[in-house]
Amino acid sequence: MRRLPIILLSLLAMACSSIDCPVNNIVSTQYVICDKDGAEMKLSDTLSILTRRMDDTITVLNRLVQKATFSLQISYSHPEDELFFVFYKGPVYTIDTVWIKKDDYPHFESVDCNAAFFHTLTGVRYTTHYIDSIVIKNTSVNYDVSTVHFHLYPKVSN
Amino acid sequence: MMSQRYISTSIRRLAISLLLFLTAHSASAQLKFFSLQKDTIPVFRGFALSFDMVGLLMNQLSDHGEYEGAFRLNLHDEWFPIVEVGYGRANHTDDPVTGIRYETKAPYFRIGIDKNMLKKKHGPNRLYMGLRYAFTSYDVDLSTDNFPDPVWLWDTGFGVKGEKCNYHWLEIVVGVDAKIYGPLHLGWSARYKRRIAHDDGSIGNTWYVPGFGIGGGTRLGGTFNVIIDI
Repeated sequence: MRRLPIILLSLLAMACSSIDCPVNNIVSTQYVICDKDGAEMKLSDTLSILTRRMDDTITVLNRLVQKATFSLQISYSHPEDELFFVFYKGPVYTIDTVWIKKDDYPHFESVDCNAAFFHTLTGVRYTTHYIDSIVIKNTSVNYDVSTVHFHLYPKVSN
Repeated sequence: MMSQRYISTSIRRLAISLLLFLTAHSASAQLKFFSLQKDTIPVFRGFALSFDMVGLLMNQLSDHGEYEGAFRLNLHDEWFPIVEVGYGRANHTDDPVTGIRYETKAPYFRIGIDKNMLKKKHGPNRLYMGLRYAFTSYDVDLSTDNFPDPVWLWDTGFGVKGEKCNYHWLEIVVGVDAKIYGPLHLGWSARYKRRIAHDDGSIGNTWYVPGFGIGGGTRLGGTFNVIIDI
């Protein structure tokens, strides 16, 4: 009988509940720029990325310089995102258009956490003015920011 | 060298003897715990029906709760096999922050056993400790009003309908039961719940689980029971 309060207090301590919204709640795709051998490569030119949305075109990545990796947000539920990769070499620029096709799934944590979408990448198309190729490395897009989704290979002459 | 060997042999013998003694003592203590007291009282002592008032109150005061009843056998006032059946529901509408609507309703089942921990087993009051295995299978409806994608601005709908989920969990129960008048007893129980298996469907997680409460790995719960002991 004397042990009962201790047992009850222990149970109480073990069973505390809390709001479990994830700290990182941004769903984004991770890109790595690679050379022809597949090794990570810092881009010597400047990269900006724009996208077409409902009413206009906006910049989603502004003037990336000397970086080998970057992350881009992905639309909640549009079947295909259209992105314009603009590569600046001094005053000269080259534009490639990239289309990313995906399936979207609602993701729920709790009624206390905002609605989110996870995605499965199903395809990528692109023009090849500056870009040689883009390869999907991982199709699952979620809260995990350590997963690389795309390898981007610029043309060798760039 | 000879005396060292004798000492080492003696220590080994002592250690083995102690181990055997402790094992035998522990085994006999376990047998005593599980065996019925020897007296003239018959093994089958009746049964009890009980209804939980906490879940009922939660149902009236919040957006989720349970209706729950239990059937309990009385074996020699010591062991009490029990089946608990309930119906849980949640209707969380238009969350003021996230705007998410969450709806589910389903029956749940628990099966387990309680042990009367009092020394005077055949008295009018009881102190229980027990264990339950619980299970529920439930459908979840989840929705929000359409909202704009923060970057692309297209209107986005969010939700699922009739998502099939299930939950299995164990409960450690501590409770009391006191005789009030005739067959009427009142009692309460505190419960530590631990999930052992679950399927939340394709949506990632579920919020309210019938019988378990607000979802997660562990949870503390309780009941206040009105009991008819026959």
